[in-house]
Amino acid sequence: MGAAGVMLSVDRLNVYIQASHILRDVSLAVGPREVVCLVGRNGAGKTTTLRSILGYLAPQSGTIRFLGRDIAGRRPFEIAQQGLGFAPEDSAIFADLTVAENVEISTWTRKTSRTAEERLALAYAVFPALTRYRARKGTQLSGGERKMLSIARALALDPTMLLLDEPFEGLSPAIIPEIGQSILEITTMGHAILIAESNIHHVPEYTTRLYVIERGEIVFSGPPAEVWKDEAVLRIIGGTPSWQSFR
Amino acid sequence: MRRAGLALVVALILAMPFVAGDYYVTLMLPFFAYSVILLGLNLLFGYTGLLSFGHALFIGVGAYAAAFLTSKFGVMHLEAILLAAAGAAVLIAAPIGGLCVRYVKIYFAMLTLAFGMLFHSFLLKFYFVTGGDEGMRVLQPFLLGFDLSQIPKVRFLTRPFYYYSVVVLAVATFVMWRIVSSPFGLCLRAIRDNPDKAQSLGVSVKRYRWYAFVISAAYAAVGGALLGPTTGQVDPNLAYWTHSGNIVFMMLLGGFANFFGPLVGALVFIFLQDTVMSIVPYWRLVFGAILALIVIAAPGGLMGLLDRRAVSWGEKSRQGGAPP
Repeated sequence: MGAAGVMLSVDRLNVYIQASHILRDVSLAVGPREVVCLVGRNGAGKTTTLRSILGYLAPQSGTIRFLGRDIAGRRPFEIAQQGLGFAPEDSAIFADLTVAENVEISTWTRKTSRTAEERLALAYAVFPALTRYRARKGTQLSGGERKMLSIARALALDPTMLLLDEPFEGLSPAIIPEIGQSILEITTMGHAILIAESNIHHVPEYTTRLYVIERGEIVFSGPPAEVWKDEAVLRIIGGTPSWQSFR
Repeated sequence: MRRAGLALVVALILAMPFVAGDYYVTLMLPFFAYSVILLGLNLLFGYTGLLSFGHALFIGVGAYAAAFLTSKFGVMHLEAILLAAAGAAVLIAAPIGGLCVRYVKIYFAMLTLAFGMLFHSFLLKFYFVTGGDEGMRVLQPFLLGFDLSQIPKVRFLTRPFYYYSVVVLAVATFVMWRIVSSPFGLCLRAIRDNPDKAQSLGVSVKRYRWYAFVISAAYAAVGGALLGPTTGQVDPNLAYWTHSGNIVFMMLLGGFANFFGPLVGALVFIFLQDTVMSIVPYWRLVFGAILALIVIAAPGGLMGLLDRRAVSWGEKSRQGGAPP
């Protein structure tokens, strides 16, 4: 992938939280319309990587480039305004705001070529179930609905790229395909997606590239099919090669 | 239903000078002034989640602006005084707010308290400018260009000034309603709920908090300027921290989760204070007990008790999840 085809590139990122060296020379890249998965066990550094990209953590060294601009050290709201949408693991729905209000906010904070109405329509089109709950408060939603709202809200930002932290975490198996399908629809709109995922079995089949992170280091990068051939990596992320045949 | 209730309240307020005694009509004047102040304070606390314990500073700025303009500079037009009060408050709140909004919760409250006390000390010690302990006189202002000094003071207060205050409050309420229902208001509520997350939606948390701070300061100053003509006198107690405490009490009493809650709090506070003071000398004791009762039994305040939302608010605060 040439430099021109890169939307987000992270190069030799080192992040410390207090005295702990959390990320060690992490490098990754996401191209236009790509769905890239960052897989690793709990505590491996997935969320830290995302939070560093989003400006919540300042890296000690390394570069983070988004659409050709260096965004390391920028503040989170500036990074969001540049078009990086984020749906965190805990969904972080504004409990006191209605579903409609949750989704609306970012149509105001970031202006793009699409009108607010178009952006809201797109967000609801991806998660039609939310349309019924527009007037509900964030507290009145189930876990799955919160996930949907969190992603829909990030979509309403009209982002160029989406960062999803564990979008399938804690969801009933029944709803996972629904959310997976919605994420696929998002890519057809031209957005690139970076997903952090702890469960290799949740990695969607349309994933174009996979990174495996362990103890703050990238230990594998390549097409998803390759990872199933690498037993050492599979041991780390807990995937069983035989499972692949059931897919 | 809501509209009918609001219309009834407005009708009662408009009819009051004709049906109630002058004493009670003049008690409504501080209610109008505090209502304006509380609309601003609640933008900062109820909507943005920042509890200021120094807002008496801006009440003082407004009240002293009225005193300076009328008695030192001969500016008698109340419209000009209100605008100047708001302008002065914005100038003072801009740097103070810039510092304070870097902090949240207790640190924010203590910092605002500190600035409030600084201003109070200034009013007290620079007596050659401010009149010190004695304060300053506020001359009877002109309303809409009319010099009404021929009318007896009580008549002036219970008729033209009464309706003037009603209009100021109505305008302030309308503008605040527009602010809280705008996308900006939505961002403030998102900040109160989860500032970290609001950032990832592109909300510049500090800047919006600062806007809320400055707007609320302007409201406090307009209310402060309205307080002056009723008593004809301003003194440093207006800027004292217990005064900040009083307005926080009014806000909690009425309920900060409701747009009109703090106004109800102001009304009840003023009339209750008047009643209790006439019965027992220990009104603070009574008010302390009421405050404790509200926090324990009705965290949503009086409006919360009326409102069905009270149920969910109560549950949330017991679980420690009530904003802020």
